[in-house]
Amino acid sequence: MNPGLGKAWPSLRLALSNRWPRGQISLPRGRWLLWSALVTLLAGLLGLLIFLAHRYEVSALQSRLDAQANDLAASVHDSLMRNLRLFGALNPEQPTVWASQATDLLLQRPEMVRIEWRGEQMQLRLSQDAPGRSAPFGRLARAHSEADVKLSCSAALRFGTPTFSSSYFVLQEDGRGMELMDLCIPRKEAGVLTGYTVVSYSLGEILARGPGARLAQGQSLAFTDPDGTRLAIHGQLGEGGRQYTSRPLVDLPGNTLVLRLDTMQERPTLLPQPLTALVAALAAALSAVLTLLVRDMRRRQQVEQELADALAFRKAMENSLSTGLRARDLQGQITYVNPAFCRMVGFEAGELLLPGDAVPYWPPELAPTYKARQQDRYNNTAALRGGHESLFMRSDGTRFPVLIMEAPLINAQGKHTGWMSAVLDISEQKRAEELSRASQERLQAAARLAMVGEMASLLSHELNQPLAAIASYANGSINLLQDDQGRQAGAAPDHLHSDLLEALRRIGGQAERAGRVIRSVHDFVRRRDQRRESVPARDLVEAIMPLLALQARKLDVQLRIDLRADAPPVVCDRTMVEQVLLNLARNAMQAMQQDCEPLRELDLQVRPSSLNGRVWVEFSVSDVGHGINDEVARQLFTPFFTTKEEGMGLGLSLCRTVVEQHGGALHFQPRQPRGTTFKFTLPAGTGRLPP
Amino acid sequence: MKRSSNATVYLIDDDAGVRDALAWLLRSRRLLSEPFASAEAFVALIDRPGFEIREPACALLDVRMGALSGLALFERVVERGLLSTLPVIFLTGHADVPTAVDAVKRGAFDFFEKPFSDNALVDRIEAALQRSAQALGERDHAREVGVRLDSLTEREREIMQRIITGLANKQIADELSISVRTVEVHRARVFDKMLVKSAVELVNLLRAPDKT
Repeated sequence: MNPGLGKAWPSLRLALSNRWPRGQISLPRGRWLLWSALVTLLAGLLGLLIFLAHRYEVSALQSRLDAQANDLAASVHDSLMRNLRLFGALNPEQPTVWASQATDLLLQRPEMVRIEWRGEQMQLRLSQDAPGRSAPFGRLARAHSEADVKLSCSAALRFGTPTFSSSYFVLQEDGRGMELMDLCIPRKEAGVLTGYTVVSYSLGEILARGPGARLAQGQSLAFTDPDGTRLAIHGQLGEGGRQYTSRPLVDLPGNTLVLRLDTMQERPTLLPQPLTALVAALAAALSAVLTLLVRDMRRRQQVEQELADALAFRKAMENSLSTGLRARDLQGQITYVNPAFCRMVGFEAGELLLPGDAVPYWPPELAPTYKARQQDRYNNTAALRGGHESLFMRSDGTRFPVLIMEAPLINAQGKHTGWMSAVLDISEQKRAEELSRASQERLQAAARLAMVGEMASLLSHELNQPLAAIASYANGSINLLQDDQGRQAGAAPDHLHSDLLEALRRIGGQAERAGRVIRSVHDFVRRRDQRRESVPARDLVEAIMPLLALQARKLDVQLRIDLRADAPPVVCDRTMVEQVLLNLARNAMQAMQQDCEPLRELDLQVRPSSLNGRVWVEFSVSDVGHGINDEVARQLFTPFFTTKEEGMGLGLSLCRTVVEQHGGALHFQPRQPRGTTFKFTLPAGTGRLPP
Repeated sequence: MKRSSNATVYLIDDDAGVRDALAWLLRSRRLLSEPFASAEAFVALIDRPGFEIREPACALLDVRMGALSGLALFERVVERGLLSTLPVIFLTGHADVPTAVDAVKRGAFDFFEKPFSDNALVDRIEAALQRSAQALGERDHAREVGVRLDSLTEREREIMQRIITGLANKQIADELSISVRTVEVHRARVFDKMLVKSAVELVNLLRAPDKT
């Protein structure tokens, strides 16, 4: 029906395939079937309409023809019946009158070819042929048709009405023939039959005189007998086109004739006929609408495909992301998570989207904190930008650090509907960070050790020299004295005396040299004292915070820093004091590690205190570990005493030395209900360095 | 040990106190010492043309010294071929022990860690001097035999080779295609020049030089 449609598909497909390299546009098999069914049905419907319209045209023609034929038949009938009256005027009593009357009649009515008057026994009395034409019974005797005449006359007598006979063929003298039909009218006078008037009609003349004039061009009119044989014909049938036929009956008393009207009519053309044209126009409109519909559908399909592709692309993008995505509505209920997020936390999307307050990937002990924090963040959107770190829990209970970037979720109508978060698993990053920091610390420790080793080597060399000399003098002196004893009476006692004196003097000199070495070391240590400065307590704590936080996260310890605002600055060797704080905090965290504390908390407090009229700053580090038993407590500050596998046993003793060098004191006490508190004091700064 | 009276101990240490103290200690054991304040000073001595060890001697070397370390000086001694007649004893601080051990493996006589407290060092010095004396003896003997060998003619040397391997005069004559008589004359002359009386003595002289 629409060839353009079929042609359009390949080009469309090409265009789409260019545009979407991976997208596939093809109608499903079922849809193709539907389309072709629709087209077939429409074509069938239209064909049927045209066919019916045509049929209607044909039947209209036929009925017009039938009407005309009936008209003609009626006129034939009427004229024949009308003629009956004329015959009453014939007077057979006077043969001459009768003859002239009959001749007049025959002249008036050319369809009549002969009028007879017969007696009551059918014997012919009078007859008159139509003038101006040859006698119809010239060639064949009237006797041939006598049976028909008698039959009709007896019927007429019986019914008392004029009766027609059946038609018969009469050869003429000119070789042609003529179909004749007789009419018999019985004549009664005072109820007594006097005779019969018999009139012979020529069927051909009936056609020619009566309805023949009313025939249209190309129509032919004929009388036929019931089996279709033409008896008489008038008019010439046209050529070409289709033949239409109508056969009305002319019902005459005693005989029934079939009038056959034929016409050749051009086949009704399709379009010019208004109905057909209307149907065609409708069909065209329908096709146009259908085409438009198809085109619209195609566009829609294309848009749908584009949309589907875009959606698939989005989906693929979301699914391939390694960043977890999470959307929450304004109530904090999760409304969307991507697969990366599910993988990260090890929960199914369905479990995460369950309504309810509990968030399955929050560590239970931190959930209240998180909830409060989340509310804070949502109240202060400006703080969201930077992202924050948090600790999540996988479905198997393991914890891992994440970086969360959150942003308000604004829908297409510009309405704030929730919060969108990107979640990054940063455990690898943290691990790397820790590793690098740990290795750096190890490196520093190694470097420090190497330096110490180098110093020890130098020191031992410096000390060994005088010691070696002293030993040599001493041994030499012993040798001399032994020799002298061996000789008994000293051969040269003065010589020996001066030798020994010299040796002893030199021993003294070397001992003094060793002393100088020791003093120089002491001086080196003393020089560090000069590096003391006034430092705000906050700076000290903040300097070690990154390291502390790192370790706290690693060991799963909560840090609580309590720094009194009125804490004065501290006069100290900053590096050393930081080391002391770090050492104590680390010890505390490790103490909580040894047994599984449900809540590991480290308290670091800084507050001012006063003792002996001076202002001090007191630092305390408290844990909730297992405490320190008496045996350990006794040796706690002894150098090289340690309870740790990898410890050197120098930490605490060093701490105490440093604190005491600053003039402060380091001590510890058990904490209630459990744990230990280490406290140390440092002099508060007065803006001037202590002596 | 007849030569020990003339034995010399070279003290090489950049620390004057240690040097003096060691000299004093050695003097108390009647040993002569010659102090050097640096490795360079000692190198100057051994690099002097015609220098060789004539009397038993040993060197006491501090591992850690200024520009030229004790170890470098030791290398120098080895290079000069003096090590056999000049045993080297290292003095080390605590940290240099591995260096000293390494040196001992490469031919140093011994090492001592400072501070050394008793006469063990002096005992080892005496042992080193003894080694030196022995080496000197061997060296002198080898020189003596060399002088004697040099005086032999080509033919006499050929015949001496065969005497040492234990051939009879007759066999030597056959081998060299000369008469037995000629061999006897050459043989007598070899014994004469080598200052020996028998073939056995000759073999001993050439093989074990220290028995003189």
